[in-house]
Amino acid sequence: MQPDATSTQAELGDHAIVVKGLERIYPGGLRAVDGVDIVVDSGEIYGFLGPNGAGKSTTVRILTTLLRPTGGSATVAGFDVLHEAPQVRRAIGVALQEAALDPLMTGRELLQLQGALHGLKRAEAKLRGADLLERVDLVDAGDRLLGTYSGGMRRRLDLAMALVHRPSVLFLDEPTTGLDPVSRSALWREVKALNDEGTTVFLTTQYLEEAEQLADRVGIIDHGRIVAEGTPQELGRLVGEPGLYVKLLDETQTEKARDLLAVHGAVSERREGGLTIRTALGARAIAPIVRTLDDAQIEVDAVEVEEPTLDDVFLAVTGRPAEETGGDQT
Amino acid sequence: MTDVALERDLAVQGRVILALAQRALRVQLRRAQFLLPSFLLPLLLLAVVASGTSAAQQLPGFPSTGSYVGFVVSGTIMQGTLLAGLMAGIAIAGDIEGGFFDRLLSAPVHRSSIVLGRVLGTAAIGVAQAVLFLAVAFAIGADFTGGAVGILLTILLAALSASAAAGLGAALALRTGSLSLMQNLFPFVFVLLFTAPAFFPRALLSPVLEKISVVNPLSYVVEGMRAALFDLPALGSVPGGFAAGIGSVVLTSSIAVWAMRSRAET
Repeated sequence: MQPDATSTQAELGDHAIVVKGLERIYPGGLRAVDGVDIVVDSGEIYGFLGPNGAGKSTTVRILTTLLRPTGGSATVAGFDVLHEAPQVRRAIGVALQEAALDPLMTGRELLQLQGALHGLKRAEAKLRGADLLERVDLVDAGDRLLGTYSGGMRRRLDLAMALVHRPSVLFLDEPTTGLDPVSRSALWREVKALNDEGTTVFLTTQYLEEAEQLADRVGIIDHGRIVAEGTPQELGRLVGEPGLYVKLLDETQTEKARDLLAVHGAVSERREGGLTIRTALGARAIAPIVRTLDDAQIEVDAVEVEEPTLDDVFLAVTGRPAEETGGDQT
Repeated sequence: MTDVALERDLAVQGRVILALAQRALRVQLRRAQFLLPSFLLPLLLLAVVASGTSAAQQLPGFPSTGSYVGFVVSGTIMQGTLLAGLMAGIAIAGDIEGGFFDRLLSAPVHRSSIVLGRVLGTAAIGVAQAVLFLAVAFAIGADFTGGAVGILLTILLAALSASAAAGLGAALALRTGSLSLMQNLFPFVFVLLFTAPAFFPRALLSPVLEKISVVNPLSYVVEGMRAALFDLPALGSVPGGFAAGIGSVVLTSSIAVWAMRSRAET
């Protein structure tokens, strides 16, 4: 499990996380993680994307030393998760799924407890807790019991708790699940700010938009295996040619327009109305498409360039849309 | 580890244990619906015993302790501490099911510190119970001839009893991880209680219960309390009570730490 001394330095280099052939087979035979390889550079935000049951949470639990792997190896901040677990725990901050916070404690008490767990003296923990309450904008709510916090407040406090000891690597397991758009944006801003300060972030999410917004690189996991990895742009290229969305003023002419536009690329009808034309020309095809429709006296309401999204990537690599996935958390 | 590093580690773990004990106490006090029964049920039983069954004292072989309440208050303390231990187990199972326990496990603390934090918090509850129950017993007629020293020793034994019960509760909670199972263990408290000479001297237990009481470490703790309260070696052995109490704490806490480690394997 422990990498040999000669390879460690060379392989770790500026890598915050190095995972090789990681496996986890649960009693009963469920292979939740099946040979995962990941390298995350220091200072990077790595988006770990996958549906429920894909193996995201199991991978995170192994990397945060909460679960032992049954095969492969993993180092975090240069320490082996199996043989140097205490060192790993000192180096990481963890905000696990659904903000596991004690509803019978106040935000301030929880931050101070977290400080004590990370070896801070009482006075230090008190001071650090007050700073972090300010950072996540919870000063006014700091002395209220957690039971009275909204979902967004709980997530912010959860993030603050993960930062008490100034970790070099931060694990965020689905940090915005269930949050409203405003709370989600606020959390994204905070994650970006932390990353700007040099913190490496390993972010699992089911939200493709979240990965696109935050991640420098994205790994997509499905059935315990990484099925695609790269920058959001690189992954976008997996989908193929960019699309142009054409909305007609008179939708009864859709059939006619579809036949005419076939000369420009692959045309598909959209469920909500309008057509998508896939063409290697991308935005440069707008003028000829509009001209074709104009010549046939079909009026155009709007034309938009559609960059491939991670939704498209997910569909391309797993064969099913992201919203159709589901299952138990593994 | 160097001596300096070891010293620093011990200081950190000491702070961790205190912080976790403080949290355990604070949350138990805020969850009054769970904590109150561990104070009220033993008091209720003490009141019933005091008012209705004091004739037991006239039975041949019953030791002379002035009043039956004085004899039985050790059992009341034992009942309270066992309930406090069960509450500790319920709290841990709640932490596991709610995910808070993962936060503790992902922190750089010794697994034993997590268990000891809960044990220490429960020991404090045991002390509070002992003080209250002894005061009530005194108010309704008990005369503790062992004096202040006897009372102090009894309170220490109560702390050990609560600690051992917390270790047992923690072990069960960590092994099963089930809140509902822990909540259903209530009758188990009475099994432990009635297989020890909590309310009657060992000589008056049925032959089967008497045999079981020999292997129940609580027997020695409760008899140690009585011996201390009345300064009567015939009622039990104070050192024996401490040995059984300390042994039980070490055993149950060790099982709890083992159960915690094995959770990571599954």
